[in-house]
Amino acid sequence: MRSDPARPLAPDQARHWWCLYGPGRSANNAALAALFAWVVTAPLNKTPRLPLSRVRINARMIRAKGLSKRFPAFGKGSHETLAVDSIDVEVQPGEVFGLLGPNGAGKTTMVRMLCALIAPTAGEAWVNGFQLGLQNDEIRASIGVLTESPGLYRKLDAVTNLSFFAKLYGVADISGQVNKYLQMLGLWESRHQLAGSFSKGMRQKLAIARALLHEPPLVFLDEPTASLDPEAARVVRDFIDEMRGQGRTIVLCTHNLDEADRLCDRIGLIKQRFICVDSPGRLRARLYGTRVRVRLESLTPAHLAAVQRLAFVKEAAAEDRVLSIRLEDPDRNNPELIRTLVGVGASVQYVEEESAPLESVYFDLMGREGQPENQEVPS
Amino acid sequence: MNVRGRRVWAVIEKEWAETARNRGIVWMMALVPAILVLVVLGTNYGILRAGAGGQDLSGMDISIPKFLAHLPQAEAITVTMNEQFFFYLLLIPITLPVYIAAYTIIGEKETRTLEPLLAAPVSTGELLFAKGFAAAAPAVVINWIAFVIVIAGIAVISPPAVLHFAVRDAWIFGMLLFSPLLALLSVLTGVLVSSRVNDPRTAQQITSLFVMPLILMSVLVLMGKVFLTLELVLFAAMITLVADALILLLAVRVFQRETILTRWK
Repeated sequence: MRSDPARPLAPDQARHWWCLYGPGRSANNAALAALFAWVVTAPLNKTPRLPLSRVRINARMIRAKGLSKRFPAFGKGSHETLAVDSIDVEVQPGEVFGLLGPNGAGKTTMVRMLCALIAPTAGEAWVNGFQLGLQNDEIRASIGVLTESPGLYRKLDAVTNLSFFAKLYGVADISGQVNKYLQMLGLWESRHQLAGSFSKGMRQKLAIARALLHEPPLVFLDEPTASLDPEAARVVRDFIDEMRGQGRTIVLCTHNLDEADRLCDRIGLIKQRFICVDSPGRLRARLYGTRVRVRLESLTPAHLAAVQRLAFVKEAAAEDRVLSIRLEDPDRNNPELIRTLVGVGASVQYVEEESAPLESVYFDLMGREGQPENQEVPS
Repeated sequence: MNVRGRRVWAVIEKEWAETARNRGIVWMMALVPAILVLVVLGTNYGILRAGAGGQDLSGMDISIPKFLAHLPQAEAITVTMNEQFFFYLLLIPITLPVYIAAYTIIGEKETRTLEPLLAAPVSTGELLFAKGFAAAAPAVVINWIAFVIVIAGIAVISPPAVLHFAVRDAWIFGMLLFSPLLALLSVLTGVLVSSRVNDPRTAQQITSLFVMPLILMSVLVLMGKVFLTLELVLFAAMITLVADALILLLAVRVFQRETILTRWK
């Protein structure tokens, strides 16, 4: 049974007198903090920041024009590397945008640029309405990032890990938000365990919670299910789906084609530059046209011949009792197709769309790019 | 507390929480001052007892400053030795936290916690200052406690003349003002080095060079060439404060998020 997250914390939860974190921290700690802040911190940062309440949902959450990143050569034997080349992209609010590509394709570099972690060498971008390079602090404050590695403080417990980042992001109700996400991600019972003792799946969930504590409208997830077992991966995928339901904009970097297919509204196939950007369905349609499968009670050569005579049929094949037909436009052509089949005496049992797996689309598109595979770039 | 203050304090709290989990570091920080406290009090007791027993202490070959000539031999030697011990006490917060500081950025990179941290809205200045402060403060506080214990011990076992020299304003200001500023200087140097090299051992070795000039100063005190006065302490504190600010600015300037994220493996 889960405990109530709003329950007052027991005194025994302050386990060490020097522990300034977590449930046991005291009022004298706050007084010390106030004194400290008064004395030393004012001149440390010149850039004023917008409070999160002023961060708005923008018409476009991400707009990038000609965004490029070239890493200079370093050390003997290395050479200059073009990691990302002239990326143009727009991501709309509430959209799940997938970045799909092989290792070294520039996915992580792209995400790091958009998160204002590294600077582009060319191009410009606006993230959540803030201009990259000019308003980096505002960008960082208004987005959530799940980095490639969970990056948790292993010697600190889950609550302390989250509380730390909640403070950095200026979350008003720290314990409320921390408790909310610990519960939401099923980590409530383990909240006082050290992050180092967590399983990979739990760590990833904790890292996702960290990325969402300040309720960012835009979240970057860099390979969120990489190296997770299928069960943990499913939990994470379900949660991403839930985030989409909340109206968040998500940029999802992944190797996992099935994941991209299931979660993303649009996918950008990237290999240094975008090879194509479209919805998973339209990507398939662009590459393969649209196929339908028609199962008949019994199939004769006359049925196949009748179908092949139709002008809009680009390709037709018969196997067992199933006709596999490639059409120009299934929505428009299907009624005529069925009428024709019925007209030649066929008994139609069912008609279904025949979709190519995204994997085929991926390899086909990647194969068309004549660039060397797996070119290593700094990650 | 303003937004920046809260962020800096959050980093400091996190650093302390991690340090507290590492009992070895905590004990190491307390061990050296504890040993020095025992040495100071033991020496005071031993010399004064020998002097009281009429033993000739001129064989100790300690150079006694002229202005202590009016004191009995044992007390003059005790004061001279205390000067040296106190100087060591002053230097303790420089030596130990610097090793923590040297590991601070590289440690985060090694444990892969640096990227989420840098992705958060915390400025480089806030981050480096907080890490420096967090490394220095515990050692300074432990040092203050050690100083108070030493003074209390001297008050019990030594004559008023020895206590008078121990609690003079040069040492009070030295401990309260100069020692923390010096500690901050050393840890900021450690943080600076830590953000430029990609191996913890290299960082610690480079940072340890910083202690060398201070060891030279302690030799001068030992030789009786330098006797700390309030003016000297305040002047040194002022110089150190300026150096702290310059080192922090330099550290912020040379801290390259991009290089750290993309080149360090």
